[in-house]
Amino acid sequence: MTHLPGGFRKVDPDASEAPHIGLLTQVMTQTLDQDYASVARRRDPQVPDPSPRWRIGALSVLLVFGLMLGVSALTTDQEQPLIAAERAELIEQIEAGQSKLADQQQQLAALSDEVARMQSRLAAELTDDRLLSNRLTALGVAAGTIGVTGPGVVVTVDDARYTGAESGGVVLDTDLQLLVNGLWEAGAEAVSIDDHRLTSLTSIRLAGEAITVDYRSLAPPYVIEATGDPDTMPARLLETRGGQFWLDLKTNYGVQFEIVAKSQVSIPADLRDHLLYAAPRRAT
Amino acid sequence: MIAAYGLALGVLAGLLMEPSIPEALAPYLPIAVVAALDAVFGGLRAHLDGVFDDKVFVISFVSNVLIAATIVYLGDQLGVGGQLSTGVIVVLGIRIFSNVAAIRRHVFHA
Repeated sequence: MTHLPGGFRKVDPDASEAPHIGLLTQVMTQTLDQDYASVARRRDPQVPDPSPRWRIGALSVLLVFGLMLGVSALTTDQEQPLIAAERAELIEQIEAGQSKLADQQQQLAALSDEVARMQSRLAAELTDDRLLSNRLTALGVAAGTIGVTGPGVVVTVDDARYTGAESGGVVLDTDLQLLVNGLWEAGAEAVSIDDHRLTSLTSIRLAGEAITVDYRSLAPPYVIEATGDPDTMPARLLETRGGQFWLDLKTNYGVQFEIVAKSQVSIPADLRDHLLYAAPRRAT
Repeated sequence: MIAAYGLALGVLAGLLMEPSIPEALAPYLPIAVVAALDAVFGGLRAHLDGVFDDKVFVISFVSNVLIAATIVYLGDQLGVGGQLSTGVIVVLGIRIFSNVAAIRRHVFHA
């Protein structure tokens, strides 16, 4: 290598003499083993071939080279169908996997459709159920087969206090009937007298001296409880015929008549919860 | 001439006898062949240059094959076998091309 004044470097054409040239340049230029040249330089031209041993070695090296060529050609040739077969098998596996995936996706879609359908059916059934049970509750309350609790009024009535004057001032069964009917008119949902639930089949009668409700004798004072709007029921009751009648009774005969609105009244169920005579008509 | 016979004999022997190479050496055969190719073309060029020497040829052949295989083996152990194979093949390929070009100049004088 020569250093030029301008700082440029020139690569020596005889690369074998230059130890510090670029790697790529060396690869490109120094393609022949330098030993050939150096051995040739050292060799005496007069002696033609000093070592027949090495000639045999060179021949056997060539033989080995041929062997290597043959073997690797053979191996590559043998491996080709193997590789192709492996490739085909892989492709087959991929295709099988893809079709399986597609199948499963289809199945998934079908199943989620079914889930949606069943959910909507369940929702519909739940709605039906709720409607049915609401209806059952309403009917049960109306028929008196279900005990109820809620806001309402408590009406307490009693015979007039004994004054020694005229007889009268005694609460009669008809009075109670009128009062109860007045309560129904005033919007009561359930009514009881002394914890006896009143239904469409309950009787309020006078038997001897005592009033019986459902054939059980009661003694005054009579406590009548009714569920309904506690704000409006007292006023509405007083507007009914029963209410007016009782106001008259109170003024003229001295019977006790007291209406109290309550936020919580509890009315028991009528224990008779089956029909005695009627049966539902079958639709034909 | 004798060399060509030796080569042909070797190829025939390889194809006909189908010698089985050990499983562990099989991956290094292709790179060894490329290295050997380099040595053989180098020898041919030296022959045409008139500086051929049997001893140098044998040594260059054996060392080429061994070094190439060793480099690739090392690369495999280090996990860069593919890259090192590529590097070895590039370098040997350049050398082969240059040597073949020199041979061509000798044969066709062009």
